[in-house]
Amino acid sequence: MFSMFNSIPTHMDYKGQKLAEQIFQGVILVSAVIGFIYGLIIEQFGWTVYIMLAGFAISCLLTLPPWPMYRRNPLTWQPIVQETPEIREKPQENLKKKKHK
Amino acid sequence: MNTVLSRANSLFAFSLSVMAALTFGCFITTAFRDRSVPVNIHVSRVLLKNVDDFTGPRERSDLGFVTFDLSVDILCFIWLHLKPIFDWNVKELFIYLSAEYSTKNNALNQVVLWDKIVLRGENTKLDLKDMKSDYYFFDDGNGLRANKNVTLTLSWNVVPNAGILPLVMGSGHISVPFPESYESTKSY
Repeated sequence: MFSMFNSIPTHMDYKGQKLAEQIFQGVILVSAVIGFIYGLIIEQFGWTVYIMLAGFAISCLLTLPPWPMYRRNPLTWQPIVQETPEIREKPQENLKKKKHK
Repeated sequence: MNTVLSRANSLFAFSLSVMAALTFGCFITTAFRDRSVPVNIHVSRVLLKNVDDFTGPRERSDLGFVTFDLSVDILCFIWLHLKPIFDWNVKELFIYLSAEYSTKNNALNQVVLWDKIVLRGENTKLDLKDMKSDYYFFDDGNGLRANKNVTLTLSWNVVPNAGILPLVMGSGHISVPFPESYESTKSY
Protein backbone atom coordinates (compact mmCIF):
# COMPACT_ATOMS: atom_id res chain seq x y z
CA MET A 1 0.00 0.00 0.00
CA PHE A 2 2.79 2.40 0.91
CA SER A 3 4.66 1.60 -2.26
CA MET A 4 2.04 3.66 -4.07
CA PHE A 5 3.06 6.72 -2.03
CA ASN A 6 6.71 5.95 -2.37
CA SER A 7 6.41 5.98 -6.13
CA ILE A 8 5.30 9.66 -6.07
CA PRO A 9 8.38 11.78 -6.71
CA THR A 10 8.93 14.34 -3.92
CA HIS A 11 12.54 15.30 -4.40
CA MET A 12 14.02 18.28 -6.14
CA ASP A 13 17.54 18.57 -7.37
CA TYR A 14 19.86 21.15 -5.83
CA LYS A 15 19.27 23.88 -8.39
CA GLY A 16 15.53 23.19 -8.14
CA GLN A 17 15.61 23.66 -4.38
CA LYS A 18 17.39 26.97 -4.76
CA LEU A 19 14.87 28.05 -7.41
CA ALA A 20 11.94 27.00 -5.21
CA GLU A 21 13.26 29.00 -2.27
CA GLN A 22 13.78 32.08 -4.40
CA ILE A 23 10.29 31.72 -5.88
CA PHE A 24 8.43 31.43 -2.60
CA GLN A 25 10.40 34.23 -0.97
CA GLY A 26 9.76 36.47 -3.94
CA VAL A 27 6.05 35.67 -4.12
CA ILE A 28 5.49 36.19 -0.40
CA LEU A 29 7.50 39.41 -0.26
CA VAL A 30 5.74 40.87 -3.29
CA SER A 31 2.31 39.98 -1.89
CA ALA A 32 3.31 41.45 1.46
CA VAL A 33 4.35 44.73 -0.13
CA ILE A 34 1.17 44.86 -2.24
CA GLY A 35 -0.96 44.04 0.78
CA PHE A 36 0.76 46.63 2.94
CA ILE A 37 0.26 49.39 0.40
CA TYR A 38 -3.33 48.39 -0.31
CA GLY A 39 -4.17 48.14 3.37
CA LEU A 40 -2.54 51.49 4.05
CA ILE A 41 -4.58 53.11 1.30
CA ILE A 42 -7.97 51.67 2.23
CA GLU A 43 -7.15 51.76 5.99
CA GLN A 44 -7.97 48.09 6.54
CA PHE A 45 -5.27 45.90 8.01
CA GLY A 46 -7.42 42.83 7.42
CA TRP A 47 -6.92 43.15 3.69
CA THR A 48 -3.16 43.21 4.20
CA VAL A 49 -3.43 39.87 5.96
CA TYR A 50 -5.73 38.43 3.28
CA ILE A 51 -3.39 39.43 0.43
CA MET A 52 -0.47 38.04 2.40
CA LEU A 53 -2.34 34.74 2.85
CA ALA A 54 -3.13 34.67 -0.86
CA GLY A 55 0.57 35.00 -1.58
CA PHE A 56 1.22 32.18 0.85
CA ALA A 57 -1.29 29.94 -0.95
CA ILE A 58 0.18 30.79 -4.37
CA SER A 59 3.70 30.04 -3.23
CA CYS A 60 2.48 26.78 -1.69
CA LEU A 61 1.04 25.78 -5.05
CA LEU A 62 4.19 26.85 -6.85
CA THR A 63 6.85 25.30 -4.67
CA LEU A 64 5.42 22.49 -2.58
CA PRO A 65 4.86 19.92 -5.34
CA PRO A 66 8.10 18.97 -7.11
CA TRP A 67 7.13 20.34 -10.49
CA PRO A 68 9.29 19.25 -13.43
CA MET A 69 10.97 22.66 -13.56
CA TYR A 70 12.65 21.88 -10.27
CA ARG A 71 14.07 18.62 -11.62
CA ARG A 72 15.78 19.81 -14.75
CA ASN A 73 19.33 19.52 -13.39
CA PRO A 74 19.64 16.00 -12.05
CA LEU A 75 22.94 15.05 -10.49
CA THR A 76 25.23 13.20 -12.86
CA TRP A 77 26.41 10.21 -10.93
CA GLN A 78 29.52 8.31 -11.82
CA PRO A 79 28.89 5.41 -14.17
CA ILE A 80 28.72 2.01 -12.56
CA VAL A 81 32.21 0.60 -12.36
CA GLN A 82 32.33 -2.80 -13.99
CA GLU A 83 35.14 -4.13 -11.79
CA THR A 84 33.13 -4.62 -8.66
CA PRO A 85 31.29 -7.82 -9.63
CA GLU A 86 34.57 -9.42 -10.65
CA ILE A 87 36.11 -8.73 -7.27
CA ARG A 88 33.15 -10.39 -5.61
CA GLU A 89 33.38 -13.43 -7.80
CA LYS A 90 37.01 -14.06 -7.17
CA PRO A 91 36.73 -15.16 -3.55
CA GLN A 92 33.85 -17.41 -4.53
CA GLU A 93 36.04 -19.08 -7.08
CA ASN A 94 38.70 -19.54 -4.46
CA LEU A 95 36.20 -21.17 -2.15
CA LYS A 96 35.07 -23.48 -4.89
CA LYS A 97 38.62 -24.42 -5.62
CA LYS A 98 39.23 -25.20 -1.97
CA LYS A 99 36.18 -27.41 -1.90
CA HIS A 100 37.36 -29.29 -4.93
CA LYS A 101 40.67 -29.98 -3.32
CA MET B 1 14.11 21.95 1.06
CA ASN B 2 14.46 18.43 -0.16
CA THR B 3 11.08 17.03 0.83
CA VAL B 4 7.58 18.49 0.71
CA LEU B 5 7.44 18.77 4.49
CA SER B 6 10.68 20.66 4.82
CA ARG B 7 9.61 23.04 2.07
CA ALA B 8 6.26 23.56 3.79
CA ASN B 9 8.07 24.24 7.04
CA SER B 10 10.38 26.89 5.62
CA LEU B 11 7.51 28.48 3.67
CA PHE B 12 5.37 28.72 6.80
CA ALA B 13 8.21 30.11 8.90
CA PHE B 14 9.09 32.69 6.28
CA SER B 15 5.51 33.91 5.87
CA LEU B 16 5.09 34.16 9.64
CA SER B 17 8.18 36.36 9.82
CA VAL B 18 6.86 38.54 7.01
CA MET B 19 3.50 38.78 8.76
CA ALA B 20 5.20 39.92 11.95
CA ALA B 21 7.08 42.55 9.99
CA LEU B 22 3.81 43.74 8.41
CA THR B 23 2.17 44.01 11.82
CA PHE B 24 5.08 46.02 13.09
CA GLY B 25 4.78 48.26 10.03
CA CYS B 26 1.09 48.74 10.80
CA PHE B 27 2.03 49.78 14.33
CA ILE B 28 4.83 52.11 13.30
CA THR B 29 2.73 53.92 10.68
CA THR B 30 0.12 54.83 13.29
CA ALA B 31 2.15 55.11 16.48
CA PHE B 32 2.63 58.85 16.37
CA ARG B 33 -0.82 59.84 15.24
CA ASP B 34 -2.88 62.30 17.24
CA ARG B 35 -6.18 60.65 18.08
CA SER B 36 -7.83 63.55 19.82
CA VAL B 37 -10.95 65.19 18.41
CA PRO B 38 -13.06 68.05 19.68
CA VAL B 39 -15.99 67.12 21.92
CA ASN B 40 -19.07 69.07 22.82
CA ILE B 41 -20.70 68.25 26.13
CA HIS B 42 -23.72 70.08 27.39
CA VAL B 43 -25.38 69.40 30.73
CA SER B 44 -29.07 70.13 30.95
CA ARG B 45 -30.08 69.02 34.43
CA VAL B 46 -28.39 67.97 37.60
CA LEU B 47 -30.34 66.16 40.29
CA LEU B 48 -28.87 65.49 43.67
CA LYS B 49 -30.22 62.93 46.10
CA ASN B 50 -29.10 61.76 49.49
CA VAL B 51 -29.54 58.00 49.82
CA ASP B 52 -28.04 55.09 51.62
CA ASP B 53 -24.99 53.75 49.91
CA PHE B 54 -24.86 50.06 50.66
CA THR B 55 -21.65 49.56 48.77
CA GLY B 56 -19.40 51.41 51.15
CA PRO B 57 -19.38 52.61 54.73
CA ARG B 58 -22.80 52.83 56.35
CA GLU B 59 -23.22 56.55 56.10
CA ARG B 60 -25.53 58.57 53.95
CA SER B 61 -23.73 59.76 50.81
CA ASP B 62 -24.51 62.11 47.97
CA LEU B 63 -25.88 60.57 44.80
CA GLY B 64 -25.90 62.78 41.77
CA PHE B 65 -28.11 62.17 38.76
CA VAL B 66 -26.69 63.83 35.72
CA THR B 67 -28.67 64.21 32.55
CA PHE B 68 -26.60 65.51 29.76
CA ASP B 69 -26.56 66.15 26.09
CA LEU B 70 -23.51 64.85 24.41
CA SER B 71 -22.40 65.52 20.93
CA VAL B 72 -19.13 64.09 19.73
CA ASP B 73 -17.65 63.89 16.32
CA ILE B 74 -15.37 60.91 16.31
CA LEU B 75 -14.88 60.58 12.63
CA CYS B 76 -16.08 62.93 10.03
CA PHE B 77 -16.12 61.42 6.62
CA ILE B 78 -14.67 64.58 5.19
CA TRP B 79 -11.10 63.83 5.92
CA LEU B 80 -9.97 67.35 5.25
CA HIS B 81 -11.72 68.64 8.30
CA LEU B 82 -11.05 65.97 10.89
CA LYS B 83 -8.20 63.71 11.55
CA PRO B 84 -9.80 60.29 11.62
CA ILE B 85 -9.32 58.16 14.67
CA PHE B 86 -10.22 55.00 12.83
CA ASP B 87 -7.06 54.34 10.92
CA TRP B 88 -6.04 50.82 10.01
CA ASN B 89 -4.63 50.10 13.43
CA VAL B 90 -7.86 50.72 15.35
CA LYS B 91 -10.26 47.91 16.12
CA GLU B 92 -12.57 49.69 18.50
CA LEU B 93 -12.89 52.68 20.75
CA PHE B 94 -13.93 52.46 24.35
CA ILE B 95 -15.45 55.84 25.11
CA TYR B 96 -16.26 56.87 28.64
CA LEU B 97 -17.48 59.98 30.35
CA SER B 98 -15.85 60.70 33.65
CA ALA B 99 -16.47 63.30 36.30
CA GLU B 100 -13.62 64.84 38.20
CA TYR B 101 -14.01 66.89 41.31
CA SER B 102 -12.24 67.59 44.54
CA THR B 103 -13.64 67.24 48.02
CA LYS B 104 -12.36 67.92 51.47
CA ASN B 105 -11.29 64.31 51.88
CA ASN B 106 -9.75 63.74 48.46
CA ALA B 107 -7.97 66.20 46.24
CA LEU B 108 -9.08 64.34 43.11
CA ASN B 109 -12.11 62.10 42.65
CA GLN B 110 -12.77 60.40 39.34
CA VAL B 111 -16.06 58.67 38.63
CA VAL B 112 -17.01 57.00 35.36
CA LEU B 113 -20.61 57.89 34.52
CA TRP B 114 -21.20 56.36 31.13
CA ASP B 115 -19.38 54.36 28.52
CA LYS B 116 -19.85 53.12 25.02
CA ILE B 117 -17.96 50.85 22.68
CA VAL B 118 -17.70 51.96 19.07
CA LEU B 119 -16.59 49.13 16.84
CA ARG B 120 -14.92 49.52 13.50
CA GLY B 121 -17.47 50.13 10.77
CA GLU B 122 -20.14 51.41 13.10
CA ASN B 123 -21.57 54.87 12.96
CA THR B 124 -18.78 57.16 14.02
CA LYS B 125 -20.89 60.27 14.34
CA LEU B 126 -22.18 60.27 17.86
CA ASP B 127 -25.07 62.58 18.61
CA LEU B 128 -26.62 61.56 21.85
CA LYS B 129 -29.39 63.53 23.46
CA ASP B 130 -30.91 63.46 26.95
CA MET B 131 -28.69 60.68 28.10
CA LYS B 132 -28.76 59.47 31.65
CA SER B 133 -25.65 58.19 33.26
CA ASP B 134 -25.23 54.43 33.20
CA TYR B 135 -23.62 54.13 36.56
CA TYR B 136 -24.46 55.62 39.92
CA PHE B 137 -22.57 58.74 40.66
CA PHE B 138 -21.84 58.24 44.33
CA ASP B 139 -19.54 60.31 46.36
CA ASP B 140 -18.02 58.65 49.37
CA GLY B 141 -19.34 61.37 51.60
CA ASN B 142 -21.24 64.57 51.04
CA GLY B 143 -18.84 66.19 48.65
CA LEU B 144 -21.25 66.54 45.73
CA ARG B 145 -23.68 68.96 47.29
CA ALA B 146 -22.86 72.54 46.40
CA ASN B 147 -19.72 71.43 44.64
CA LYS B 148 -19.06 74.23 42.23
CA ASN B 149 -16.61 72.49 40.01
CA VAL B 150 -17.48 69.03 38.79
CA THR B 151 -15.70 68.58 35.48
CA LEU B 152 -17.10 66.17 32.90
CA THR B 153 -14.59 64.88 30.38
CA LEU B 154 -14.92 62.40 27.59
CA SER B 155 -11.97 60.11 27.07
CA TRP B 156 -11.40 57.01 25.02
CA ASN B 157 -9.17 54.02 24.86
CA VAL B 158 -8.00 53.17 21.38
CA VAL B 159 -7.89 49.39 20.97
CA PRO B 160 -5.32 48.69 18.27
CA ASN B 161 -4.50 45.74 16.08
CA ALA B 162 -0.90 45.95 17.16
CA GLY B 163 1.01 48.13 19.53
CA ILE B 164 0.24 50.23 22.55
CA LEU B 165 -3.21 50.94 23.99
CA PRO B 166 -3.39 54.72 24.07
CA LEU B 167 -5.71 56.64 26.35
CA VAL B 168 -6.86 59.79 24.63
CA MET B 169 -8.68 62.65 26.26
CA GLY B 170 -11.14 64.51 24.12
CA SER B 171 -10.43 68.19 23.81
CA GLY B 172 -13.42 69.86 25.35
CA HIS B 173 -14.85 69.44 28.84
CA ILE B 174 -17.53 71.11 30.90
CA SER B 175 -17.67 72.29 34.44
CA VAL B 176 -20.95 71.74 36.24
CA PRO B 177 -22.02 73.39 39.47
CA PHE B 178 -24.02 71.00 41.62
CA PRO B 179 -27.18 72.18 43.40
CA GLU B 180 -27.21 73.30 46.98
CA SER B 181 -30.18 71.17 48.00
CA TYR B 182 -31.20 67.55 47.68
CA GLU B 183 -34.18 66.32 45.77
CA SER B 184 -36.69 64.48 47.91
CA THR B 185 -36.06 60.76 47.98
CA LYS B 186 -39.76 59.90 47.59
CA SER B 187 -39.43 58.80 44.00
CA TYR B 188 -36.35 56.76 44.66
